[in-house]
Amino acid sequence: MTANFSQLKIEAEQEWSQLVNSSKAWIRIGSSMCGQAAGAFGTSVAISTQTSSRKLDVNIDQVGCIGLCYLEPIVDVLRPGSSSRVFFGNVSSESIDGILQYIETGKLLKDQVNIIGYLGEQEIDGLSSLRDLSGFNLQQRVALKNVGNIAPGNIQQYIANGGYQALNDSLELGKPDEIVKVMQESGLRGRGGAGFPTGLKWSFMVRSPGPVKYILANCEEGDPGAYNDKGILEGDPHMLLEGVLLAGYATGASNGVVFIRHGHDGPIDRTKEAISQAYSSGLLGKNILGFDFNFDIEISLTGDSYVAGEETALMESIEGKRAMPRFKPPFPAVSGLWEKPTTINNVKTLAYAPEIIKHGEGWYSSIGVNRSKGTVIICLNGDINKPGMYEVPFGLTLGDIIHEIGGGIPNGKSLKMLQTGGPLGGVLGKESLDMTLDLEEMSQAGAILGSGGIIVADEEKCAVDMTRILVAFCQFESCGKCFPCRLGMVNLLEIVERITRCEAREGDLDLMKDVGQNMQMGSLCAHGQLGFNPIRSAITYFEPDFISHIKDSKCPTGSCEKLVYLPKNTRALGEINRENQDKQYIPINNII
Amino acid sequence: MVVRDTKVKLKIDGIEVEADPGQNVLQAALDAGLYIPYLCYYPGMKSFGACRMCLVKVEQPGPDGVMKPLPGAPASCTTPVAEGMVVTTNLKETKDLRKGIMELLISEHPHGCLTCHRIDLCGPSDICLRHVSVNDRCVTCPKNERCELKDTVRYMEMDLDTPLTYNNRNLPLEVKDPLWDMDMNLCIVCGRCVRICSEIRGDNALTFISRSGRSLIGTSNGGSLLESGCEFCGACIDVCPTGALVEKDFKWDKPSKIVKSICPHCPVGCELKMEIDKKNRLIRSVGNLEGPANKGQLCFRGKFGLNFVNDNNRITKPLIRVNGELVETTFKNAISVVANNLNKYSGKEFAALISPTATNEDAYVLQKFTRLIMGSNNIDVSSNVVPEITDEIFRMTGIPGSSSSIWDLEHSKSIMIVSSNLTEKQNVLGVPIKKAIDNGAKLVVIDQRETELTRFAAKWLKPKYGTELHLIAGMIKVILDEVLDDHDFIEQYTLGIQDLKKSLWSFDIINVSNISGVSVEDIREAARIIGNDSPAGILYALELLPSQLRAECTKALINLALVTGSLGRDSGGIFPLFDGANEQGIKDVGCSNTFLPGYRLISDNSSINYFQDVWGSNLNNSSGIPLGQFNREVFSGQIKALMTIGENATLINGNDSEFKESIAKLDFFVTTDYSNNEITSLADVIFPAAVFSEKSGTFTNIEKRIQFIRPGMTSKDEVSEDWYTLIQIAKAMGSSKFEYKSSEEIFSDISNEVSMYSDISYDLLDKEGIVWTPNSWSELFSDKKSENSTNNQDILLKFDPINFTDDIEVITSKEFPYLLVQGRVLFDEELSNVKLENGRYKSQTNPVFDLHPEDASKLGIVEGQTIEVISQENKIQGIVGLKSTQPGVVSHKSMFGDLINQLQISKNFQVSKNTDLNLVPISIKKL
Repeated sequence: MTANFSQLKIEAEQEWSQLVNSSKAWIRIGSSMCGQAAGAFGTSVAISTQTSSRKLDVNIDQVGCIGLCYLEPIVDVLRPGSSSRVFFGNVSSESIDGILQYIETGKLLKDQVNIIGYLGEQEIDGLSSLRDLSGFNLQQRVALKNVGNIAPGNIQQYIANGGYQALNDSLELGKPDEIVKVMQESGLRGRGGAGFPTGLKWSFMVRSPGPVKYILANCEEGDPGAYNDKGILEGDPHMLLEGVLLAGYATGASNGVVFIRHGHDGPIDRTKEAISQAYSSGLLGKNILGFDFNFDIEISLTGDSYVAGEETALMESIEGKRAMPRFKPPFPAVSGLWEKPTTINNVKTLAYAPEIIKHGEGWYSSIGVNRSKGTVIICLNGDINKPGMYEVPFGLTLGDIIHEIGGGIPNGKSLKMLQTGGPLGGVLGKESLDMTLDLEEMSQAGAILGSGGIIVADEEKCAVDMTRILVAFCQFESCGKCFPCRLGMVNLLEIVERITRCEAREGDLDLMKDVGQNMQMGSLCAHGQLGFNPIRSAITYFEPDFISHIKDSKCPTGSCEKLVYLPKNTRALGEINRENQDKQYIPINNII
Repeated sequence: MVVRDTKVKLKIDGIEVEADPGQNVLQAALDAGLYIPYLCYYPGMKSFGACRMCLVKVEQPGPDGVMKPLPGAPASCTTPVAEGMVVTTNLKETKDLRKGIMELLISEHPHGCLTCHRIDLCGPSDICLRHVSVNDRCVTCPKNERCELKDTVRYMEMDLDTPLTYNNRNLPLEVKDPLWDMDMNLCIVCGRCVRICSEIRGDNALTFISRSGRSLIGTSNGGSLLESGCEFCGACIDVCPTGALVEKDFKWDKPSKIVKSICPHCPVGCELKMEIDKKNRLIRSVGNLEGPANKGQLCFRGKFGLNFVNDNNRITKPLIRVNGELVETTFKNAISVVANNLNKYSGKEFAALISPTATNEDAYVLQKFTRLIMGSNNIDVSSNVVPEITDEIFRMTGIPGSSSSIWDLEHSKSIMIVSSNLTEKQNVLGVPIKKAIDNGAKLVVIDQRETELTRFAAKWLKPKYGTELHLIAGMIKVILDEVLDDHDFIEQYTLGIQDLKKSLWSFDIINVSNISGVSVEDIREAARIIGNDSPAGILYALELLPSQLRAECTKALINLALVTGSLGRDSGGIFPLFDGANEQGIKDVGCSNTFLPGYRLISDNSSINYFQDVWGSNLNNSSGIPLGQFNREVFSGQIKALMTIGENATLINGNDSEFKESIAKLDFFVTTDYSNNEITSLADVIFPAAVFSEKSGTFTNIEKRIQFIRPGMTSKDEVSEDWYTLIQIAKAMGSSKFEYKSSEEIFSDISNEVSMYSDISYDLLDKEGIVWTPNSWSELFSDKKSENSTNNQDILLKFDPINFTDDIEVITSKEFPYLLVQGRVLFDEELSNVKLENGRYKSQTNPVFDLHPEDASKLGIVEGQTIEVISQENKIQGIVGLKSTQPGVVSHKSMFGDLINQLQISKNFQVSKNTDLNLVPISIKKL
């Protein structure tokens, strides 16, 4: 059965208007990973039991993260007759009463529940609009536009909010080249870290012969402190599917694979659900929406491997092999997955495609600065008041992000370090707060924006220790294939480690530079090539910290003395050398 | 023909180099005789790009013609050549980069000697002035001076110290596995072993384990090699650049010379490099990468099964029987004893058997001796126990052996294997087959037994005993009925398709299915694979077939090849899988009861006349006794004297006990052999025979490639090559027709008299083996044919109608009503039972006997019960399984690891002979 899109859309809009204009209240519970970590499961159970015991007839949906992770679990309510949603933060089972009273009476009991604000056209007395909230007002949500607003498990809500319109229009137009052109002119660049122009990447694949070609959506997302890919998949998986379909149609591909790290159950389940809905709605499979376009999407899971997110290692992993990068050439657009032409995009990148196609290249390229067009999704972590996932236009300064959006450093401390773009990115000092969010500007400063994760450290943190943790991560996550990375990371880690222990030898900084340079020049993939980045950037901004460890045998912040875990088990050593076997390496995200 | 200039020109270090498009820069440089250091690359395997030793600077013209440097320092092994490319390998920055990476590498590899200026001066027992631990010295490494890492370090002119901390891994040595030792302290994780195991051998027994700095090599399931799917081919050892993987035997010994020769164990004809030490021992064999038949690969027999040449019990002096006892004598005396005795016999009274490991030269002299001096045509090669598989091909196509070359199989679209355990018997043939499967070819296996290749089969058919002919005929019928045949091929090159079609009437598919026990669907699917995906490679040994069926079955298979257009084309063809290493060549030069040299029929007068002219003497023109009737003729008193030539010339796969009885009945028995065995103990005269590693001569392999075997070891005492012994006997018997001074002179006679060997000389063979093809074939498939095709009716290939015979030997009896089908596999988690015994892994398969559920219920046996399986010779207890698919058939499989354990024990390498997977009639007793 092939579905007709206008029919699908009418049905979806009916459903949506029934939901919005219903006589029942609509409760949306933020149930992404951040929400769940904060107790959304308990909140959601409590809400359903209490509504049924009070005989309140309500619609409940579990939605994605609206970005204010520090306020999770977030519950919002759309009362019948109202067109604005009221958001409640840090909702525990005790504070539910306040929410239910609001549903029943329309009264807001500020002492019972933390009210964040309202969102919508209708003003609500005594509340400020979410849009005026400092964490919200600088945002411009494009890829995240539906996240937190619609139920990810409901394809109709997505369609009702303009979903699959871009796909339908493109299929109707029948000019795949046009899509590539729009993408090229929009200036969208890959959000995985390298910032390669997306349209250009697609255009490579157009030339490759078919019929079997692959689009891979990469949600390996192994960077500690980055969760925006997962955020999209958990909050709005259809956005990605539409993006993959558009990429597939534009490049003449036949298959899509969404590649997710195993264990991320939320994103995996949501995506699976979305794929099966898309199949049953005629949006995947043969003759999509009645047009002459066939496309299939499946999910592939990786093991615990950071390097599996590297594009060629990812293909190895999908093929069932050990996730080790391949050499290039041949480039994926010529011979990729199963030796077929392949294009790999980050989940975020693909999620931009529907909106760009819908609103046109000019709209998108008008956002942002210089060669960095559009918006970027930032994940704020660490010593910051308002950690969360924020989509902001390029061109804001890092200071805006840290102080305006992030609300500054807690406990009145001052900022010391920013770690951007994942462990391979590098660290920045507080003098870089004036720096604008711009791919070029940041990479010139020795840090990359990468996938958008920013870890903030306050003045009490030691730069050398931070470097050690980053290097430990890079070492542990090396795949072990190419010699410079496999052995270089081990040696770098051992040197940094002895610096943190204040047992450094003369010339250790130069030795690290030598090893690092060889790694950068000699390594097979970006993991090894960038593996020295954290040390290089740390030395650039925090040389005094290093000198103090080396020359004065002292950690200026004292944090190095408190080390408990040392990553000893980095080499394949026999029994004799395994005194520290019990001191297993603890992944970086458990330490921070 | 238009010659296409497809070479790419590039410059490496200022030298103009030509390379094939798609080749990588490193290989192009190596081909041109230039050196770029490398550790993970290995010629013949895909590039890996891990070691980063081969980093270079590359400039390449862009689309606008302007030279542009490739970013960074590209690895030459992963950079494809391009027209106009300029490669610089020895810039200072590149060299420094390499050194930096090498420093990292040796921070984990014992390098006490690598960074010492006395590297070339010290011996293992010298006192080290630098107090380097014994574990960290090169001089105590088994691979010292055969180590690629050491060579690379030397080439790089490393500094003598490194600022990096040295970490010896201090991992325990792995010496528990049979045949090989593993020292992971020396491993540099280049992955060559892992890659050759999966990429070339298709075994995946080895893998990378763990990751990052802890990456190492190990077995896929973490256990012993015996249960990992390892076929013990030793390819991993051959490619290991360091001392991490080494052979157990002669682990520490260094060769004093390395000589290329051909493995004497099977007809694949693998070229190997024999490493001979100062004590004249063959200490190691390494597959030669340039070997055209094996491309560097060997099998468990070629790699680990050559130790017999070093046997201390070698016969080194001639022995004669005096008063019933064998006593040593002089060579001269032994010759005269033989000459005097043989003078008493002539014509049919004399017979000669030659071992399949004899050279073409030995064989030629023996047949000449037998025919010219003894006047007999009773001559055969002792491994020729299934003559039908080659005889029928010769009769139908004029080609005495396989129709294509081994590596053509790599490109076959489909492959069919009929009743053959080829991964054990002709192992290296399995390499291109697995490669073809990897490339998408489909494999059909017709065999009751489970063998290594059934695992790779798209369709594995298990017909009942003696119904293979029905099955194959049924498949041909399906192909014809569903019009999957190669119509053009049949039109152009064949005659008699109608006769074949007529003969197939009776092979109705439902009938075939009922008879063979293979389902209609399976037969159809198998036929469709071969029909759709032609050209097909068809390989068959027909080991388990009743002898009455073999000829007809071979015929059917050739018909199948003709129907699918698989003959005479690259990437297809028909391969009879005989066992003898030089069986092909020995037959080529005339060791046959029906053929004179060059397959000229004895019954043909012109052939007889030709050789009477050439040899200048009258010849017996009646055919000799076939090998199969040999024993009968001895018992009837017809054959009185026998000469066997070559090492261990027993009947391979034949009935040895009967053979021994008949030998005991002979009046006179002379043999040449390298060591004492049951047959030599019956001899009247024994001459000490040279083994393959002491001989010079030629072998002809299964694809008819004539290859050179070279002497690496020197023969002791009176050990001599068989041809030399033979001509001494001939001279003593008064003949002047055997004036050969060297094997080369014999070969020139062969080359003159055997048309296929004409124009071939030792000089030519010294460079590379030469494949011969019959003239009729080149005529048939050449372009000339189409011009006057009407005149060439006689050379067209003819279909031969298939006749069915009911007269099949029944091997089950009332006493032994069930048929035990024995399989052997590399890998089976359930059956594998590896234990540690005295610090060594030992494999013992869990004995499971799979019955058909019907039989089990008839016998009142349930799954998991213990039963006793009784055969004529043996009683074994085992556990009942119910996986047999045919009533009356009990299937049992053992692990290849068991065989390897036996191989390790057996010094003289009898393993391949004694452990054939035969069908055995059995009875079952409940316990």
